[in-house]
Amino acid sequence: MVSASPEHHLRRSQLYRIHQSAGAYFEDQDGTLSVSQYAGNADELGQARRLGLADLSTLSRIGFKGHGAPAWLHTQGVLLPEQPNQTLLQTDGSLLLRLSAQEVLILRALHPASALITQLQNQVSSAAAQHAYVLPRADSHCWLALTGEYAAQTLAKICGVDMRLHKFAQGDVAQTSVARVNAIVTRYALEADTPCFYILCDVSLAEFLWVSLIDTMLEFGGQPIGLATLRQLQPTKPSSPS
Amino acid sequence: MTNNRLPLPFGSLLDRESTVNFSFDGKPYRGFMGDSIASALAANNQHLLSRSFKYHRPRGILTMAGQDANTLVQLPANPNALADREQLRNGMTVTAQNVSGSLERDWRAVLGLFSRFLPVGFYYKAFFKPKGMWEKWVPIIRKSAGLGVIDESHQPGYFDKQFAFYDIAVIGAGPAGMAAALQAASTGAQVLLVDENPQLGGSLNYARLDAEGNAATALLKKMRSDIAACDNIVAMTDAVCNGWFADNWLPIIQGSRLFKVRANQVLMCVGAMEQQAVFRNNDLPGVMMASAAQRLMRLYAVRPGNRAVVLAGNNDGYAVALDLLDAGVEVAAIVELRAQPKYNKVANALLRRGVTVHTGQAVYQALKGKRGRLTAVDVRKIVSQGKCADTGEIIHCDLLCMSVGFTPTYQLICQAGGQLSYDDDSAMFSLNQLPANFHIAGSVNGYWQLDTVVADAQRAAMMATNTIGKVDVEVPNTIAEPDADSPNFNWPIFAHPKGKEFVDFDEDLQIADIVNATQDGYDHVQLLKRYSTCGMGPSQGRHSALATARLVAASTNKTVAQTGVTTARPPFAPETLGHCAGRSFYPARRTNMHYRHLEAGAQMLQAGVWYRPAYYGPVGAAQQCINNEVHAVRNNVGLMDVSTLGGLEVRGTDAAEFLNRIYTFAFIKQPMGKTRYALMTNEAGVVIDDGVACRVSEHHFYVTASTGGVDQAFQSMLKWNAQWQLDVDIANVTSAWCGINIAGPNARKVLQKVCPDIDLSNTAFPFLGFREGHIAAIPARVIRIGFVGELAFEIHVPQHNGEALWDALMKAGDEQDIKPFGVEAQRVLRLEKGHIIIGQDTDAMSNPMEVQMSWAIARKKPFFVGSRSLIELGKMPLQRTLVGFVVNDPQAPIPLESHLVLQGDQMVGRVTSCNYSPTLGKPVGLAYVPLPAAEPGCKIVIRAADGVLVTAEVVTLPFYDPDSLRQEV
Amino acid sequence: MKLLTCPLNGPRNITEFSYGGEFHHAPDSRTCDTKRWVEYVFFHDNQAGNVLEWWCHTATSYWFLAERNTVTDTVLRTFPASELFKQRVDFATQESSAKNDK
Repeated sequence: MVSASPEHHLRRSQLYRIHQSAGAYFEDQDGTLSVSQYAGNADELGQARRLGLADLSTLSRIGFKGHGAPAWLHTQGVLLPEQPNQTLLQTDGSLLLRLSAQEVLILRALHPASALITQLQNQVSSAAAQHAYVLPRADSHCWLALTGEYAAQTLAKICGVDMRLHKFAQGDVAQTSVARVNAIVTRYALEADTPCFYILCDVSLAEFLWVSLIDTMLEFGGQPIGLATLRQLQPTKPSSPS
Repeated sequence: MTNNRLPLPFGSLLDRESTVNFSFDGKPYRGFMGDSIASALAANNQHLLSRSFKYHRPRGILTMAGQDANTLVQLPANPNALADREQLRNGMTVTAQNVSGSLERDWRAVLGLFSRFLPVGFYYKAFFKPKGMWEKWVPIIRKSAGLGVIDESHQPGYFDKQFAFYDIAVIGAGPAGMAAALQAASTGAQVLLVDENPQLGGSLNYARLDAEGNAATALLKKMRSDIAACDNIVAMTDAVCNGWFADNWLPIIQGSRLFKVRANQVLMCVGAMEQQAVFRNNDLPGVMMASAAQRLMRLYAVRPGNRAVVLAGNNDGYAVALDLLDAGVEVAAIVELRAQPKYNKVANALLRRGVTVHTGQAVYQALKGKRGRLTAVDVRKIVSQGKCADTGEIIHCDLLCMSVGFTPTYQLICQAGGQLSYDDDSAMFSLNQLPANFHIAGSVNGYWQLDTVVADAQRAAMMATNTIGKVDVEVPNTIAEPDADSPNFNWPIFAHPKGKEFVDFDEDLQIADIVNATQDGYDHVQLLKRYSTCGMGPSQGRHSALATARLVAASTNKTVAQTGVTTARPPFAPETLGHCAGRSFYPARRTNMHYRHLEAGAQMLQAGVWYRPAYYGPVGAAQQCINNEVHAVRNNVGLMDVSTLGGLEVRGTDAAEFLNRIYTFAFIKQPMGKTRYALMTNEAGVVIDDGVACRVSEHHFYVTASTGGVDQAFQSMLKWNAQWQLDVDIANVTSAWCGINIAGPNARKVLQKVCPDIDLSNTAFPFLGFREGHIAAIPARVIRIGFVGELAFEIHVPQHNGEALWDALMKAGDEQDIKPFGVEAQRVLRLEKGHIIIGQDTDAMSNPMEVQMSWAIARKKPFFVGSRSLIELGKMPLQRTLVGFVVNDPQAPIPLESHLVLQGDQMVGRVTSCNYSPTLGKPVGLAYVPLPAAEPGCKIVIRAADGVLVTAEVVTLPFYDPDSLRQEV
Repeated sequence: MKLLTCPLNGPRNITEFSYGGEFHHAPDSRTCDTKRWVEYVFFHDNQAGNVLEWWCHTATSYWFLAERNTVTDTVLRTFPASELFKQRVDFATQESSAKNDK
């Protein structure tokens, strides 16, 4: 656990002041700080299982787009879902969201050592030559995780797409409007009984979305949670993709 | 409490263990938990609830279903609360509305005596001449017709919205709705069942279905428990479906939440609304719908009167009479409108109780007693349609129950596209031409007997579940002929020479008002509504539409079906602004440096959806702060957050070709590491956006766009390439980059300290150059451009590095006394330099020639969007041109945007930008002027604030540094 | 609220979309006569009946086409623009062919 301030790092989440005032402890990830957990919540794991919101914005992620993107990604050993708007777990634990026939978004695994993004990041020029153009998703979008039993009910108040668990399955993606802002939502459960929705929206709207979600979660007793807690919900070894 | 309460099992909504104290017009009362305000008052013998809108007549309970304005009362934070729907709460302070003096003695009631001088259309006829008088009359008229008082200190509550999705939504939870929900749920469908009342059951809660009076209760008990046992039925009570919108989108309000429901199939089981008979003094307190009396007894255990007369046009009236007898009310008589009634079992049961029936007779008028309450009815024989004998019999009573017919609750169904027609035999409106995925059942569909109602509901539910493929069973389109015995009497309308036979209680409209409106020429029901205000009151025609249609039809020799009703628009019931607004959402965009601005004392403004610093310093010293910031940039160094600028990556083998088509300039031969101005026109040749295009590599351009224009520019690029199919990929990376423009003669000196890997010298990195490197160890794109006309570097870094970049530059500039500058200073600086802002200095007609940008058009290109239109525009003389002007008179007010340029009394142009220039020491601005006035030295006249005429002088642009020596050093 | 089916994202509330105008094939801007060009730029057919329209799903900036009946406001079908635009449009080629015409 690191007590250092995000202000000592070059990359800072838009939300770090909010986290600080909520009593956040930070930890080093991808060369900068993420919230590890919050002081004052004795049972953050229970909170995550009931209803929690985590800010993953400083964790690495990357996007590729272009008519050569699927073929190039294939040569890199990336597993692509057949259809757009599906998420597929990669062998290193990262998640790949296929946003359209020609566009993907890759989110790193919550536990460290997700090698895929680094591997792809190192080859963006050769990718461009193959018509696969890198997208700076780690900066263009913020990344939040909404977890727990009441996550779907929370989303029902701010999103017009039916995200009840029997309608919006594990691995589904919706590119839609959440709390009046454009967002990418995917459901990917960490542990079997705890639903988890990853929500990405324009990074300049991070504070708006965070505050809106916290307000929306109030009636179900939702609270912010940290990465350490979120990691406890994730099996240490990713199951092999089906 | 009082002897007006009935014993159990009357009063199904009441919790008699919980007493509720409240006050009405200053007097304390007690009721029970579960009471409505109106029922609690009735239990206390307070039958007078309000004064009518126009004549201030005493009014009481009419429908007990929220379908009339009689029960509107004032709550401290809520004017126009419906006393018959509003649940009683402890400590409630209720007051009467629309009262002059007191509710009991309202001096404006004298208006009733002058009613023949207040004919329909009176306001239009009396107050519109002479011109201008209307404004003088309005406050006086409004006062005499006031409805409630707004509590201006009221704090709004927490309202919320929620989306919900169902296979089947059933609106109305009476016997039809409950049967339909159960049938649909049996197929496994997800069902929503909605009712506006506190409990499921609809009419089963208060109506009498059999002579013994227990069939309804037994059925209700069973259906409720069946529904409770179904996990796939969600039942919402106290919930109003307030409209129908395309593709079965239903706004349902419950408490302080608006549910936005999307249903695959909608079943409207919304029932029917009882209608009043129209006769003189039919509005006296004590005259009410038969169903209102039943609701008072069954739901609230209130004895509605001591001696009743029932006016019956159907057999339901006899059921009500039985109920009254059970409740210990003396039934003085049944006045039977039908000449040859066909009695059913219930009616026969009543007849055996020895109540006198006056067959073929009508209540010709009601008579007023003490405190305005009903004291007797004048019963006369019907001699022909709407005509009574000259004499009749006076029967004393304090309660008259009207049971003369119904209108289907058509509002939501007509919103969905259903059409009303009228059947002369049944004297009833019916609904047909329903849209797909939409069904109606029960009394709204013309079924009145319990067994046919239930069968019809099951039929409709099966049609719905068949459609969504839950099961496929054969279903008849109709279950049977609609019930032969219509509950509607065809003409329960009896005109009186002295009038006061009310058709619309809300608006105090009498028979003559409706008939006269048609004679004034307003013979279409839609016109008549606007002219007479019939149906425009709070109850929106719920109790007046049928009688109005009948009267208009008779008066214009049309059928009732041809006459129809007025359009019923959403909302069905009143809704608060809080429900519409929901929680407060304002998606405002912040850059990564947002809090650094606040810490530096910035006053933020909203540019589109972005927060941007306007200037740094206290509000009181705004002009001084702005001048200081301008001064810093001109003489030293300043920095500005330009993260909100749009950014687009254009990549692919056709990247240059693509830009060549989108922008007016030429890009094919643009060298790498160079930047070009990019001006975008639409197909009409109108300027719509601008920015710069940096050539990062052969097949890669980084293009900026304006803060407000980038989303449109991006979408338009995608749309074009969907057609051109060029090998290019376009990505909107606006938010991925944070930007700072560091500007001023000392900009290089500051930047050098933190930029080790780019040679910043003018020779190595000239004006309009583009470089990639690092600023304070942050990867950066650096562009030598400046909107402000000084040496400037625009630094773009990944968004999450924004704050760190700000910190690094502020630290590096500390020695140099670097100063942040905001949007206001930038507006002044760019104006001094004569740079236009697209959208401020251009409008929906501006072409590049008008804004002096012909230099930015590459005319040799085979094509760009807008090229042909610019060729055509080039053939025509310029109508206007954008020029720079200065105001030399130091006493003159500074013109503002949109102030007019005048020639004599003709408008010939307008100001688009104008600011005081601290550098030039006088106001400078841009304005559109006609060509003859565009020459430098010409004087133009601007009409400034308050009509002051300001003379300005046209000058050559730019105002500052005409040879651009400062930005290219 | 109306539903519209995006070929990429499926049925969504109409608020997720922006309207992109009537669909027209642009005339050759260098060879068509002025009247034809002006009508193309400024006139709208505003037909009662089935029309073809551009729509954009704003969350994904995905452009597609919808065939819609303007009388009943029913959308008959939606489909990707690539069904109509199958190959690269080149103005330079057209220019040289126009020159050849002279």
